[in-house]
Amino acid sequence: MKKIAIDQFSELVKVLAERGPLYAPVKGKEGVNFQAIKNPADVTLDFYNTVLSPKSVFFPQSEDMIRYRITHGATEAQPVPQESRPAVILGVRPCDVRSFEIMDRHFLGAGVIDPYWKSKRDNTTVIGFAFDVSAAADPADFYNTFGYGAADPEGSDVFMVRTDKALLLKSMTDRGKKLLDSLGFLQVAGAQDEKVFEETVKKGKAVRTRSAEINPQVIAKKLVSVFDNGEFWQKVTMACIACGACTYGCPTCYCFDISDEMLFKEGSRKRFWDACTFTDFTLEASGHNPRPRIFQRYRQKVCHKYSYHVDKYGCISCVGCGRCTRVCPVNIDIFSIVDEANKL
Amino acid sequence: MTAFKKIEDHLRKEAKNLLEGGKVTLVLAYARGFDEKHPVPCVVKAAADADHLVFNEYCTYNMARYLTRYPVGTKIAVAVKGADSRAVVQLIQEGKVRRDDLVILGIPATGMKNQKTGEVIDAKTTASTINPVLYDVLLGDEIHGVKAGSPYDVLAEFEGMDKDARWAFWKKEFERCIRCYACRKACPMCYCDPCFMDASRPRWADKSPTDDGTLMYHLTRFYHLAGRCIDCGECSRACPVDIPLHLFHKKVAKECEAMFGQAAGMNIEDKPAMANFKGEDSDQMLG
Amino acid sequence: MSFEPKILGIACNWCTYTGADLAGTTRLKYPQNLRLIRVMCSSRINPSFIIRGFQLGADGVLVGGCHPGDCHYGTGNLYARRKLAITRKILEFAGMEPGRFRVEWISASEGNKFAEVVGEFTNQVRTLGPQTKFKITKDGQ
Ligand code: SF4
Ligand code: SF4
Ligand code: SF4
Ligand code: SF4
Repeated sequence: MKKIAIDQFSELVKVLAERGPLYAPVKGKEGVNFQAIKNPADVTLDFYNTVLSPKSVFFPQSEDMIRYRITHGATEAQPVPQESRPAVILGVRPCDVRSFEIMDRHFLGAGVIDPYWKSKRDNTTVIGFAFDVSAAADPADFYNTFGYGAADPEGSDVFMVRTDKALLLKSMTDRGKKLLDSLGFLQVAGAQDEKVFEETVKKGKAVRTRSAEINPQVIAKKLVSVFDNGEFWQKVTMACIACGACTYGCPTCYCFDISDEMLFKEGSRKRFWDACTFTDFTLEASGHNPRPRIFQRYRQKVCHKYSYHVDKYGCISCVGCGRCTRVCPVNIDIFSIVDEANKL
Repeated sequence: MTAFKKIEDHLRKEAKNLLEGGKVTLVLAYARGFDEKHPVPCVVKAAADADHLVFNEYCTYNMARYLTRYPVGTKIAVAVKGADSRAVVQLIQEGKVRRDDLVILGIPATGMKNQKTGEVIDAKTTASTINPVLYDVLLGDEIHGVKAGSPYDVLAEFEGMDKDARWAFWKKEFERCIRCYACRKACPMCYCDPCFMDASRPRWADKSPTDDGTLMYHLTRFYHLAGRCIDCGECSRACPVDIPLHLFHKKVAKECEAMFGQAAGMNIEDKPAMANFKGEDSDQMLG
Repeated sequence: MSFEPKILGIACNWCTYTGADLAGTTRLKYPQNLRLIRVMCSSRINPSFIIRGFQLGADGVLVGGCHPGDCHYGTGNLYARRKLAITRKILEFAGMEPGRFRVEWISASEGNKFAEVVGEFTNQVRTLGPQTKFKITKDGQ
């Protein structure tokens, strides 16, 4: 294990940013969010969790796939080269770290490998960051439901714990080890630090978020059985205004749209986030919309995450980060809805 | 300060009476969310459920937003604070809802709080109307003697800016926009289906979140809200990345009031300003 | 090379566009910077056209319609006046230079006025320089 004094943190950031793309939490007007770091001083470790999820690092909101130009009688088209530089994402909370593995199942494990996700994921070292285990969890969080703790190192390449004076950095994978070994200026942590690290992980298990008994297989079947209970779905989604905030904030929502966008005969085919709650998500060219009602669309969201995803990939696609609830303009809370459905 | 508890009791009682008496088939108001500080908009259809209704300083939603979801002819009771009541009036002006279909439960309120920041919502931010402008039943007492201030005072800083600085300001704000469309969806006056942003022929703006599409979205939306925005502030509060859309809406509202002599949603007899003209309109407005 | 502004003109069929024709047939000179689009009435002009014009590279936008009271459809331009007035305020509050947008009432017989307005407006926009605020740049995408 390695460590670095907190007042040296900017050194670490500086080196990482010089080597290649570094994504880290930056404070903006709206709160803290992950950004590509240009100026090391921008990085902050003082945040509960980012407003939007870290998924944008591997799955940007908008991404060009092909660029083209239409000239006389011909179209020149070039696929956009994939990112191949080694990158680092620093400061990901434990629940969010788990989201990467869930997304992997979809983007890498579904029989078709998504090159856009893969290239970034393969080249990126994830530095997880424990929540403050002495503080209470945000009331919207419910990651305990999935058995996650506030300081679980699983899934990170390097896991970072903050103590009074230092940041402890423990490598969890080979990739993580390589990264730490390459940072010669880090101090070697002592036995006392190891103890603090272990204790933090343990204390993290005791941080309580909202939690419910939700067995993936059981809830998957349950939701199918209540699918036709329109009264239930209408009641729990009445307030939903069908925006995209919950989806865009969610670390495990991966739906996208593809569109050709051109200006003055030059353009690109791009993919960009879409949300199942939008009116036109399922709108067909004929004008027919199989999910015209808001409750149908929100039901899709819940069922996709908690039922279809279990059937297809063997796990729930939610990590209980609480973002959807926090960003929802009308406080729709997926946890309460799933919990209620579970009890029907 | 508003007597929230008193309003809540009154709200429950009225809702129960109205539903029991068959006067309305649904009541649009607030219920408890995952905790007290996070209430949710709710619809109550049975008198027995009226006890679930709540009212506290975090009930910032504009319930008029939900009115246009129901077919004309549905008898609805709707709980509205000052600005929200103006939305009801504006919707009546626009023929989207009928006065006869509504029982307006007016809520005079000060000291409402932004759920995210906890800051008090007043004229400096949004919702400068304290007492409902139109109601059938008043829940609580009209509030007098509180200096409301002008909803437009907050604009001075921006109007005073150099135009380049103002552009830089808005550019920076809009850059954060993730096009989640929560702003239009939270707005009581954004009832178009489809919204111009969802149209593909013509396609007014890129579907992907490009900066120019975002500029087109917001400027056009500001225009579509001209003479209609009633300053409830829901657009800004809904925004997950805190873009102060209300400032621009306030500016447009201020100019409309100055040029056309009428504020949005004050009187059901008014015609919407942008669907109207008057003999005294002059070319001066083209400045 | 000195800067030559691109001016987008949007003119109503019955007055301003006919006025432009008249300016042409009477061989009046006016700058070639203008690209004129004909619409049936000034009230048909969606403010998004103006925004889009700026985005696609217009340095100035000139809107022309019949004189109030002379609208071919009776009252179209009276609605248009309100719409365009608000559009102007929106452009200004967004930070656009007010001098880049102008509305003029030009009748079918005012070929002279048409040529004068276009000349004057083009000069004004020329002194303002290229419009860069709304204009789409490739790397901004
Ligand atoms: S559904 Fe909500 S709680 Fe679950 S991962 Fe997505 S944002 Fe987090
Ligand atoms: S649940 Fe909330 S955030 Fe999600 S679409 Fe509905 S209103 Fe928007
Ligand atoms: S634009 Fe904003 S402030 Fe105006 S009515 Fe709509 S939500 Fe309310
Ligand atoms: S709510 Fe905010 S982020 Fe979402 S579309 Fe509106 S301005 Fe953009």
